[in-house]
Amino acid sequence: MGMLRKNNLLLTASGRPPWYTSKGKNLDVFIVGVAGGSASGKTSVAEVILKSLNVPWVVILSMDSFYKPLTPEQSARAFRNEHDFDHPNSFDYELLFKTLQALKQGEKVDIPIYDFKTHSRTNRTQRVYGANVVIFEGIFALYDPAVLSLMDMKIFVDADGDVRLARRLQRDVSERGRDLAGVLAQYQRFVKPSYETYIHPTMRNADVIVPRGLANQRAIHLITQMITKQLRESYLNFRWELARVPCSECALTDKPNLTVLPATNQLKGLHTIIRNRDTSRHDFIFYSERLCTLVVERGLSLLPFTDVTVTTPTGAPYAGQRLQSPRLCGVSILRAGSTMESGLRKVCKDIAVGKILIQSDPVTGEPKLHYCKFPRDLATSYVLLMDALVGTGAAALMAIRVLLDHRVPEDHIIFLNLLAAPQGIHAVTKAFPQVRIVSSMVDPHLSVDKLYIEPGLGNFGDRYFGTEPAESATGSNTPTVLA
Amino acid sequence: MTGAKALEITQKYPQVHLLEQTQQLKALLTIIRDQNTNRGDFIFYSDRIIRLLVEEGLNHLPVVDNVIETPTGSKYNGVDFLGKICGVSIMRAGEAMEQGLRDCCRSVRIGKILIQRDEETAEAKLYYAKLPSDISSRYVLLLDPMLATGGSAIRAIQVLLDHGVEEDRILFLNLLCAPEGVAAVVLNFPKLQIVTSDIDDGLDEHRFITPGLGDFGCRYFGTDD
Repeated sequence: MGMLRKNNLLLTASGRPPWYTSKGKNLDVFIVGVAGGSASGKTSVAEVILKSLNVPWVVILSMDSFYKPLTPEQSARAFRNEHDFDHPNSFDYELLFKTLQALKQGEKVDIPIYDFKTHSRTNRTQRVYGANVVIFEGIFALYDPAVLSLMDMKIFVDADGDVRLARRLQRDVSERGRDLAGVLAQYQRFVKPSYETYIHPTMRNADVIVPRGLANQRAIHLITQMITKQLRESYLNFRWELARVPCSECALTDKPNLTVLPATNQLKGLHTIIRNRDTSRHDFIFYSERLCTLVVERGLSLLPFTDVTVTTPTGAPYAGQRLQSPRLCGVSILRAGSTMESGLRKVCKDIAVGKILIQSDPVTGEPKLHYCKFPRDLATSYVLLMDALVGTGAAALMAIRVLLDHRVPEDHIIFLNLLAAPQGIHAVTKAFPQVRIVSSMVDPHLSVDKLYIEPGLGNFGDRYFGTEPAESATGSNTPTVLA
Repeated sequence: MTGAKALEITQKYPQVHLLEQTQQLKALLTIIRDQNTNRGDFIFYSDRIIRLLVEEGLNHLPVVDNVIETPTGSKYNGVDFLGKICGVSIMRAGEAMEQGLRDCCRSVRIGKILIQRDEETAEAKLYYAKLPSDISSRYVLLLDPMLATGGSAIRAIQVLLDHGVEEDRILFLNLLCAPEGVAAVVLNFPKLQIVTSDIDDGLDEHRFITPGLGDFGCRYFGTDD
């Protein structure tokens, strides 16, 4: 992977650019189907395409994961090489369709793991999330009409029958230690007839036929170019688009899901300390954490409560309230959002915290997703999403999109931040009107050239963690770009 | 539920400041009021309310305008806190609020006053007071979680006044008040400000706040009555 260095920032070039529009809707994921007879070189072709695309966030999905689990009788036959794994009915097309459909819509999916030793699905799954391109390969990849309808490009890898048989013998006998007679018998009885009857005819569903498989480098090169072109057309100029919205269009009134803390003297006093460029890091950390605790407390009051009556030690009843949903988790947008975790833990002792790393591309300024990791029951929890600052709202949009892709209901997301620009609030509420936002303060401006919140407080993460670029530390006024 | 009584009190006495009654706060109060709440939770959730009380209390301190420059080079019209503060806790229960104060004001000076009720005369008696030497020039955050009859509070406030603290520079922070206690304190010291998270119906025959939450000090420090 290539590396990018800017000041003291190091990024591997593997971030995922936005895969959704500024309205928050997912763009379709590009799905490539690769079919062909057994040992025709499908997998190798898929791998070479993946490699030569040279973009991150491409996954290969194998049809092997979608074998139907066998009944005990079928399983016994399979051990005697008498089960027809090459018949179209051996696959679970319904599950396959659902999985590909979810992937196409950008959702997180759990792919079943099939165990060839026991011919059954294991109770484990493989989690796949965040692919811009999915390459689906298998002998019946181009067989089922519903599955075909999801594909953007269909490829059939054609190889001569004797070549495929030779490869299969090599693989099964030398690599998998099976006996020659058994492999040949299986080939004669199932593989060959199935290819002729079911697989070869799917060639007419293909957009591209690749003769000679992997050896056909020119064909693979052409395919890669076509996919790359498709991907480039869907790239967006995100942050600048968001920043160009004039403040006059970002009225904060008429946003029922936005809560801004009351502008008390106390709050203004805290802001005065953390905004002052001459404030020491020691004080910056202390006062921003105080501010954060107030924001978290306010955010928690947006959760659903229910009436409950308890008895006090004096014996008297007290009509109180209790938090309805016991499931709650935090998700911080790294880096700056993680500074709010200690504030969160002060009010929610043992809360689980997920992380999303989003960084601005130092060249284009666009947000890129580098990493995400969530608690297991994320989709059934209320999520307190945290980021210190909201400038254009680009990082928040991406983070919320990631949560939605993991099936968190939109109205279960409460987005907590310390300081926001009107454009950021506008972008988030427009794209995701059901997300609740709590800010301690909203500033009047976002600079159109550098995308700073103004007056703002500089780069929150740098000031908190002490990682200001060297020139800024000597007094020059060049904070790094904020998402 | 907080209702007519609390509203009546805050309307009658503008110097009484009730925390914003969010569902969240209500839920915290429900936990600490519940007799079945274990001590760990009692401490944790009391501390959360105390922190909100301290933040709200600090909000009543005077400020002065201050324009500063942010790292983006822009001006921010902010404020600076004016004057020095200190805390004074009424022992023992008031000490439970010290950590909340320190969470917001690092290395704040804290004075202590010990007042016990004389069993014979039922009068609040001063046993001990140790206060910062320059307390007369400071704003004082007086800490006691429960304001019931107001007996010990009045005694403690008198100690502060005797040490030269100005009445309008005292902020009395408590979690729970009885209307009787509020009335007594306000009557005696009309210039003092009270910040509280809830106002209850009244006192029972043992002069406990009802519905109340029991003996705060015992539940917080884990001692029996």
